Amino acid sequence: MTDSSIIDLYNYDEFVPEKYERWMNFEASPPLGKRSLDFSLWHLDGTLTTLSEVLNRSLLTVVEFGSFT
Amino acid sequence: MNRIAEDFSPQNVGAVFIYTHEAHPGENYPHLTSMEQKYRHAQALRDIYAVNRPILLDTLDGACHRAFGSMPNMTWIFNQSGIPVYKSDWSDASSVKNALEYFLQIPERRKAGERLAPFRVERLDYRNQDRVEFYKSLERNGQKAVDDFRKAFPSG
Repeated sequence: MTDSSIIDLYNYDEFVPEKYERWMNFEASPPLGKRSLDFSLWHLDGTLTTLSEVLNRSLLTVVEFGSFT
Repeated sequence: MNRIAEDFSPQNVGAVFIYTHEAHPGENYPHLTSMEQKYRHAQALRDIYAVNRPILLDTLDGACHRAFGSMPNMTWIFNQSGIPVYKSDWSDASSVKNALEYFLQIPERRKAGERLAPFRVERLDYRNQDRVEFYKSLERNGQKAVDDFRKAFPSG
């Protein structure tokens, strides 16, 4: 799958089962207890950070995923 | 969830919000096609929904979100080494609070001499499903968001 295909599929344009159901993939999420992969993330001011950098700042970090909609 | 962040911050617990794709796109907040748009939507989340935790943007293809199961509003708790110690497929402040209180006892238990080893547990927690507020948020997204949700879930 090309990068642009993933972008289009992931950012579906309407909440219909054939477009959103493929992303309800919690069963395939990584197991607890094993270090996860690292990812680039951007602050609202545009500065770049990484997930590991964020997590390293605190004893525990609560990470909520979501969007405006 | 803002309250969780405030209450547990003195105990060295951090909290962030990772911005994903639009779960319920509508005319006012359509699906994302650029990072510039993602920034605008994330700023709206901060300003209109008063999310006061740091908001971090995932890539446009949702690499981080997809790696963790890509549910629309899930919560994970990680330790300082980047190891996930809690994961939930939806977000509920009571469930997270319960987990944090449990984990924060671990250092004291070790200091008290207990020899501890991690194990996995699964549990079915319950979240408040306030449909009135949810439909208000869908209306804010645009009528299409309301219509699409009603078609997908006719019983509400």
